[in-house]
Amino acid sequence: MDDVLDEVVSSEDLQKFEKIFHEQLHQGEVTHKAQFEYAWCLVRSKYPTDIRKGILLLKELFNSHPDGKRDYLFYLAIGNARIKEYNKALHYVKKFLEIEPANQQVLALERQINKRMEKEGLIGMAMAGGAVLALGGLVGLGVALAKAKK
Amino acid sequence: MDYVTTLKILVIGESGVGKSSIILAFTTGDYNASFPATIGVDYKCKVMEVNGLKVKLGIWDTAGQERYRTLTSSFYRDAHGAILVYDISEPKSLEKLQEWVEELQVYSTKKNIVCLVVGNKIDKPRAVQREQGQAFAQKHRMLFIESSAKTQEGITLAFEELVQKIIETPGLWESGGSSSNIRISNEASGRQKEESTCYDYSCTI
Ligand SMILES: Nc1nc2c(ncn2[C@@H]2O[C@H](COP(=O)(O)OP(=O)(O)OP(=O)(O)O)[C@@H](O)[C@H]2O)c(=O)[nH]1
Ligand SMILES: [Mg+2]
Repeated sequence: MDDVLDEVVSSEDLQKFEKIFHEQLHQGEVTHKAQFEYAWCLVRSKYPTDIRKGILLLKELFNSHPDGKRDYLFYLAIGNARIKEYNKALHYVKKFLEIEPANQQVLALERQINKRMEKEGLIGMAMAGGAVLALGGLVGLGVALAKAKK
Repeated sequence: MDYVTTLKILVIGESGVGKSSIILAFTTGDYNASFPATIGVDYKCKVMEVNGLKVKLGIWDTAGQERYRTLTSSFYRDAHGAILVYDISEPKSLEKLQEWVEELQVYSTKKNIVCLVVGNKIDKPRAVQREQGQAFAQKHRMLFIESSAKTQEGITLAFEELVQKIIETPGLWESGGSSSNIRISNEASGRQKEESTCYDYSCTI
């Protein structure tokens, strides 16, 4: 394992928190904690359908529970990056950095997302999409330099 | 990638004691005077050399804040080593370390996991005597060291002592995760000692 995007939830954990979430759902009231814990497991699943479900739960939390904002933004970025929705992931990273510009954990995540995009040859798309212009510019420069060296 | 094994190192303790700062100091030599609280769990790797062996450390930096507690415990699984951190300027953080020891006993899966207690922030005015930290470590048969992430004092030594002890513990680790053809196993040498290693050992640095 080289970075947080490689980390996969164990099936025991996923089942355990899924059970708690569903129990609360049947009783008619889900706590923020239970929903977050389940969503945290889902976005670390190896199955894209789980990850998408986790993203939905996190979005719901983001809109209803401002206190947990940084947690939700962070795992929204991780979830999206894991299903290769890199532009969306970078959008959440950017929103996070608006609140905490120097957060090392998030800056490291941003670097990992960029590394993946580069590896998968998606840099051009990011730039065309204009997701994060300044960043696109920097990465673009890196690519240009790498080319110049050859 | 010519390391002989990958070791999983877990870092736990109350929020604000300096877990992330210790890891930052160890992996990059940097320090940040206003480090934000970790979200969930963070991960860093570093290759280091101990006893002439190159080992890769996968360091898991857990968030100390209470609301993450239920989730972070699943990261204890398969850890070879644990670093339990308290703040020498905050007596409460050492008292609370007892809870972290209990978490570790419940959730860690390797029975001879090597543990190191770190009293951090020695650059600050002291409110916990060195002997108190030492006694705590001794009681739980763990290694002990004091450090400052700010001045770097004790940081590298802490990881060296921990990793050295892991490497010397029979049956705790296996060679692998390497493309080289060096294959070293410490299994055969001390199978019968496996039961007794970590918990009857105590040492101070
Ligand atoms: N003076 C001094 N301050 C330190 C030292 N280590 C950490 N700090 C400061 O203590 C604060 C908390 O440090 P962190 O590394 O974020 O603590 P943590 O244990 O990772 O906290 P959580 O992520 O919330 O669990 C930061 O503002 C650091 O700058 C140290 O050795 N000396
Ligand atoms: Mg931290």
